[in-house]
Amino acid sequence: MQIYGPGELLDDVLQTGLCISCGACVHLCPYFATWRGKTAMMFSCDRKQGRCHAFCPKTEVDLDQLSSKANNADYTGAPMGAYQQVFMARAGDKSGGGDFQDGGTVSALVRFALETGRIDAAVLTGRNGLMPSPGLVTHSGEVAAFAGSKYTAAPTLVSLNDGIKQGYGRMGVVGTPCQMTAVAQMRSNPMQDSDFSDPVALTIGLFCTWALDARGLLAFMEKRAPEEEILKIRIPPPPAGILVLETQSRTIEIPLDDIRSLVPEGCRVCPDMTAEWADVSVGAMEGEDGWNTLVVRSEKGLKLAEDAASAGYIVLADFPETSLSHLNTAAAAKKKRAFDRACSQGLVNTEKGGRAVLRVNKQALEKMISEPGGIHE
Amino acid sequence: MSELIEGKPGQRYLLMGNQAIARGALEAGVSVAAGYPGTPSSEIIENLAKVADEANMYVEWSSNEKVAAEVAAAASFAGLRSLCVMKQNGVNVASDFLLHLVGGGTRGGMVIVPCDDPGALSSINEGESRHFARMLEIPLLEPGDFQEAKDMVKWAFELSEQIGNLVMLRSVTRLSHASGSVKLGALPENRPRARFRHGGFVLDPQEGAVTSAPVAYKHVLQQEKLEKAESLFEDCPFNTYTGPENPELLVITSSACNLYCREAIEILGVSDRAGLLKLGTTWPLPKKLIRTHLENCSKVLVVEEVIPFLEENLKVLAAELAMEIGPRTIFAKRDKTIPSVGEMNPDYVIAALVKIFDLSYEAAPADYVEKAGLCVMAGAPGRDLTFCPGCPHRASYWTLHNVLALDNRDGFICGDIGCYSLGMRETGYYALKTMHAMGSGTGLASGFGKLDQFGMDQPIVAVSGDSTFFHSVIPALVNAVHYNADITLVVFDNSGTAMTGFQPHPGLEVDAMGHDAPSIDIESVCRAVGAQTTVCDPFDMELTRDILLEKITGKNGVQVLIFKQSCALSPEKKGKPRYEMHLDENICIGENCGCNKLCTRVFKCPGLNWDEKNQHARIDEVICAGCGVCASVCPTGAITKKERA
Ligand SMILES: Cc1cc2nc3c(=O)[nH]c(=O)nc-3n(C[C@H](O)[C@H](O)[C@H](O)COP(=O)(O)OP(=O)(O)OC[C@H]3O[C@@H](n4cnc5c(N)ncnc54)[C@H](O)[C@@H]3O)c2cc1C
Ligand code: SF4
Ligand code: SF4
Ligand code: SF4
Ligand code: SF4
Repeated sequence: MQIYGPGELLDDVLQTGLCISCGACVHLCPYFATWRGKTAMMFSCDRKQGRCHAFCPKTEVDLDQLSSKANNADYTGAPMGAYQQVFMARAGDKSGGGDFQDGGTVSALVRFALETGRIDAAVLTGRNGLMPSPGLVTHSGEVAAFAGSKYTAAPTLVSLNDGIKQGYGRMGVVGTPCQMTAVAQMRSNPMQDSDFSDPVALTIGLFCTWALDARGLLAFMEKRAPEEEILKIRIPPPPAGILVLETQSRTIEIPLDDIRSLVPEGCRVCPDMTAEWADVSVGAMEGEDGWNTLVVRSEKGLKLAEDAASAGYIVLADFPETSLSHLNTAAAAKKKRAFDRACSQGLVNTEKGGRAVLRVNKQALEKMISEPGGIHE
Repeated sequence: MSELIEGKPGQRYLLMGNQAIARGALEAGVSVAAGYPGTPSSEIIENLAKVADEANMYVEWSSNEKVAAEVAAAASFAGLRSLCVMKQNGVNVASDFLLHLVGGGTRGGMVIVPCDDPGALSSINEGESRHFARMLEIPLLEPGDFQEAKDMVKWAFELSEQIGNLVMLRSVTRLSHASGSVKLGALPENRPRARFRHGGFVLDPQEGAVTSAPVAYKHVLQQEKLEKAESLFEDCPFNTYTGPENPELLVITSSACNLYCREAIEILGVSDRAGLLKLGTTWPLPKKLIRTHLENCSKVLVVEEVIPFLEENLKVLAAELAMEIGPRTIFAKRDKTIPSVGEMNPDYVIAALVKIFDLSYEAAPADYVEKAGLCVMAGAPGRDLTFCPGCPHRASYWTLHNVLALDNRDGFICGDIGCYSLGMRETGYYALKTMHAMGSGTGLASGFGKLDQFGMDQPIVAVSGDSTFFHSVIPALVNAVHYNADITLVVFDNSGTAMTGFQPHPGLEVDAMGHDAPSIDIESVCRAVGAQTTVCDPFDMELTRDILLEKITGKNGVQVLIFKQSCALSPEKKGKPRYEMHLDENICIGENCGCNKLCTRVFKCPGLNWDEKNQHARIDEVICAGCGVCASVCPTGAITKKERA
């Protein structure tokens, strides 16, 4: 991993449109701020190296370094990353219920982690109208209010940075794959600060094919439904190809093709569909409404899933083979798309002092770009 | 400034040019003086206002220059002598009225004093008022030293009454703001009674209605007045000649350039070769007088500042005379003997004389010039213009800049004229992107605010000072509201015309003479014209930011935000810091990631400096004004504030 400063972050990420507004660089200092779903640089900072650049998931991400930290091995390029087990899961009776996106596994695990003291606070993402609005939660009763997916890029990690300032030392973070990448980089103490201590005790990743630009979506919706009436947004699994908007009075279906232009460039070079750098990753369950796919990666993640299941917070079931193969195909397709695009723009393993978006060993790279292109999106 | 009224006739005093003009007005028995503040003109009204009660005068700071001219003209119509004062661009503002005024003529003597600013030392233009005299077809006088600055005023009033029209007396920065020895004259005793006579024959200049119509008839009268002035100029005591009878070179000049020419001729020792014709009456030029001098000399050098006004008028005369006296060679601006922009100085005149006389002259040894240059580069700290410590504008621009950056739609601010014009520079975080005439910020914003139809989606903000608001923002604001332009106007209300020295304006409860006056509430005015208006304290940076973000986010027509916080130099604040500031060196993280010297590298209040040796910021207690703002800026909480008892 190569670390540069805020000037490079501005040039390479903010001004190229690669920024996905994750919030990792925000509130570390006064220079980066977020407002209405967009990250902005307030003043120039002339440091040659900084945490802003080191944490950013859209520049100089070294997959081998992340992999060696998480799994003691080079990155393999396996479609779903390294994991131990995949389950079907949903919230159990003790979860307290809620207006979940799918099976409510995420909310249930967060509740469980808070109630058992595994974490002292949770970094979650709510919304204010259509604008994503992150928050720091310390009581399990507040978790349900954050249920439901906001299909917009969200500055979730601002709340993580705020939590650090407020002195929380065992936070749980729920986020998209890019956010999980930023968190993993942050936890590796890339600037080697002497007073660093890992503020994160649990990471729950969300599957993600792409997110939408929040301001773009707001402008798009303005003509279709009043922001305050929107109850829920769903993207049914392929081959539906639609985004479903549930409002108080009706259900609106929007073809994905109509909103694809709202996908930020940063998502188009993102190779991670299943949040490879999290303790557990959660997605929708193909063909089973009200269930989740739960990918367990770390020991900590496995223990959490098992304990939550035995305590009745979640329900686990076997994951069907066919679904796993579909999932692999989709994940591999995302990798290929991202690396094809990033390679064609000279953003992978850039040499001679040039700055890259992604760095990865040759073997894995070959593997990822030779996988057959995915049929689903 | 009691000297101004208590000074003894016949005695000499050291007076600033503007004081000399004010004394001249008192000696002329002026009853009414009105003006709008603007450097370098402000001290004239200021000085008169101070002695207004003793001198039985009425003096006001008008809301703008046009109104000032109207107020002064009313006094003239009522038979009183009146003075009207402004800086150069003020004449542009007043000119619409003036054009009509001069068509109809004046009664009591009326003199307009514009103070020009060649070199734009405290302006953003080098505008000239001299050409207004030609355009308005009125006489123009230009004092050439401090004594004349006083004496000419009285002469100007007499001239005005003799011809029945307005007279312009033009000063420049170096005359208005420098000081010289002035011998005083007597102050008059009696004061005429004011009465506007309007019942006589309609065309009677003293008894009828006053107006410039019927134009064809009145215009002829007006030109006759100008001709009369010209003939009076032929033996005006302020046109002087010094030098040999038949000089090799005739130098013609006026105003402060007179002093530069005298100095140059003396330094070069060419007083036996060059004659100096100093003109006090520069429009219309006294033709006979000029002819006498041209007859004796074939080469002429014209020395003046900025536009070639004297040069062109002289060339017209020379062309008219050419058949009789032969052609003359005229060195001036058009042939580049004299620089065409900026202030003049003795060196330029020396350079011109050296060229014309083919002399060799070295102002200073070349190695001295080089060494001096190096010393300046290496020795003098680089200093940009900056807001004072504790200045509310710094806090205001901090928030404005941050809000527009956060909003991230490439929004911009249309600037206006005042201290806050510095928002174009680093001290205002380069927030201002346009700056023109007074009131133009809001007018431009009003226009930008209608361009959404053509795809413009940038947020538009205008700023205005409180004095500027009354001067000329109101019509632009009305326009923006009426046409529903999506703009945010931020009024920096610092309770006075701070830039020019705290002259009161209509928003205050006191007038120029120090008397109580009803104040006009900016907030109520904005609400009354239909703008959604909020008032806040720019020192409360968080609240201000939130309000501003909300205002610029929506498309809600005209939004006004009034930033209320007095100027750090205002009489009620100066030397009375509100907070005791403390900087904890152990908390300050200085250059480290997480701050990187935000306070001294970016925010840059002069009250803060960087301790290079110990690598932390410091508060300079001598300079800090105790405003408390930096406590909100520091990201680590190293800076704290405590309310003083
Ligand atoms: C942008 C985005 C794209 C996704 N794309 C896919 C996909 O292609 N395939 C798939 O199988 N699943 C996808 N998901 C995941 C899916 O929508 C559900 O979040 C997941 O199945 C968990 O469901 P749940 O019922 O357990 O969630 P809930 O219990 O309802 O909890 C949802 C959690 O997600 C968090 N959250 C919501 N929005 C965001 C956001 N924008 N950024 C970060 N955190 C957020 C909230 O904090 C909340 O805790 C996506 C999610 C997001 C946010
Ligand atoms: S280098 Fe550090 S202080 Fe500078 S912008 Fe980045 S995070 Fe902020
Ligand atoms: S992607 Fe995240 S870390 Fe990178 S610039 Fe954008 S908000 Fe900052
Ligand atoms: S802003 Fe605060 S932390 Fe930063 S240098 Fe100044 S005092 Fe130190
Ligand atoms: S309190 Fe801070 S911002 Fe205010 S004058 Fe002092 S140093 Fe400057």
